[in-house]
Amino acid sequence: MNLEKIEAGTKLALTNKKKVPKQRKSQLIVPYLWLLPSLILIVVVIIFPIYELFSISFSKISLSGLKKGFIGWGNFSNVLNDPTFPLVLKNTLVWTVGVVGISTLLSLGIASLLNQEFPGRRLVRSALIIPWAVSLIITSVIWKYILDYNYGVFNLILMKLHIIDENIYWLADPSISFPVMIGVGIFVTIPFTSFVILSGLQAIPADLYESASVDGANRWSKFVHITLPLLRQPLTISTVLNTIYVFNSFPIIWSMTKGDPVNQTDTIITYLYKLAFMSQKMGEAAAVSVISFLLLLVFSILYVTIALRREQ
Amino acid sequence: MQKTGKFQKIINPVLAYLLFVVLLFPYVIMILTSLKSKEEVYSIPPTILPQHWVFTNFLDIWEKVPLSDYLLNTLIVAGGATVLTLICAIPAAYAMARMKFAGKKFYMYLIMITQMFSPIVLLVGLFREIQWFGLMDSVWGLVLTNAAFNQAFAVWILSGYFSTIPYELEQAAWLDGCTKAQALRKIILPLALPGIITTVIFVFIAAWNEFAVALTFISTEEMKPLTVGIYAFFGMYDVQWQYVFATSLVAIVPVVILFLLIEKYLISGLTAGGVKD
Repeated sequence: MNLEKIEAGTKLALTNKKKVPKQRKSQLIVPYLWLLPSLILIVVVIIFPIYELFSISFSKISLSGLKKGFIGWGNFSNVLNDPTFPLVLKNTLVWTVGVVGISTLLSLGIASLLNQEFPGRRLVRSALIIPWAVSLIITSVIWKYILDYNYGVFNLILMKLHIIDENIYWLADPSISFPVMIGVGIFVTIPFTSFVILSGLQAIPADLYESASVDGANRWSKFVHITLPLLRQPLTISTVLNTIYVFNSFPIIWSMTKGDPVNQTDTIITYLYKLAFMSQKMGEAAAVSVISFLLLLVFSILYVTIALRREQ
Repeated sequence: MQKTGKFQKIINPVLAYLLFVVLLFPYVIMILTSLKSKEEVYSIPPTILPQHWVFTNFLDIWEKVPLSDYLLNTLIVAGGATVLTLICAIPAAYAMARMKFAGKKFYMYLIMITQMFSPIVLLVGLFREIQWFGLMDSVWGLVLTNAAFNQAFAVWILSGYFSTIPYELEQAAWLDGCTKAQALRKIILPLALPGIITTVIFVFIAAWNEFAVALTFISTEEMKPLTVGIYAFFGMYDVQWQYVFATSLVAIVPVVILFLLIEKYLISGLTAGGVKD
């Protein structure tokens, strides 16, 4: 039936456009009518704000939020001259690569673990869903409490196990708090990643491993030569989506350190939020948004290219 | 499934149970803390199990903050966003799965690009727009935002499901005199039900859990959803952790149940359904 459709399409294309009867012409707009509600929603809520962002980023903005004319690259140069901005960019990179990379490695192990039979497997799988289902802000707030210097149970447990001699300020010093928050990021990223990898593992036929064993392959070479190549698609999906989610992530850092002390633990996302809604510097915040937008765009072009290549 | 050696047979379950403990650890601490008195929450050294189980915390929270408002707002935001997402996404997904038209690729790119952004990156622009609409401090601003940012995901999943349904079924319906819309309603939607349920639950949970937009757009206490509402217990000098966690539990239970219900669709919905043209 696809052939019929294609033939009809070719015939239509071959016919001179002027000769297309009126009814045919009205038929041509039908698909767009079906798309219309979705398009309106996207244009109003996503595309227009993007336009607005660019416009604000090149405008002088009064404290009350009014545009006071074009100022060129002023907002951008203010941001780029802010001595903390390079640190914020570095944090964003460490945060994104750290959370996505370590989550993916751990999830590979967890997924192969859950791909094996053992009593209680279903229960562990269900537990793996919980950090995924629970609101990020709630999980982060719980960890903030657990890591509290005086009242948190994390110090208590480590003391009881004699791993530490005295309580540790987990969320004060950026050289400790940033890795700790990356840990929380990993905790909430693992479920999705493991499930995607697990689905890939379950699609690998068992006889591939059996024939490899016959050929004398050990576990490692089976992993490298069978498992990893066949996991390429799920790993691409999880890495791309995770990179986007983690780059955009706000609640963990916001609830645990608010980027403090003095922007030391800010990523570009918390930095722009603070510029906009705490310092009321809308123009500069818009400039930072535009920079994030461009970073994401570069990444998304990469993603679309990969996705389309896979489709073909 | 791989054959496992003897060593693996013992070590694998141990690792898995360890994982189980780590995954549940923060949520168990949350539940235990929600049942402590304030004095106990602030005792040094801290306790793990409550010395006195204070079940009344779960009654107190309804009095201390407008919790029924929070809950209702969260329900409106999640429910409203889900409905609006479906109203817009179903026809679009159908067109993507079944129709040929110029600009189809363009729409697909547009959808994919929108998936790249969280509302926060666009928040400065969005904030002004919501102000112009007069939707500041209103749940409807949140409904609109959540619906738009989940549009890509919904269209992607739904069109994947629609395109797995045999075309002949629809043609038969047309021959019987159905219009396209009727065929969609009577043939496609019932057959794509698993896909629709997955989409509904995912969008519902995403909107239910959303924090950053609600934090920015809502300032009146009675208009806040649960995720922002828990911050009512963060005082100037101390945090009423027992109430924070009792309220959090109210917010968590419904979504965890929903998520467990769709466990078996999780992955087929996220990967296989999505990539087909």
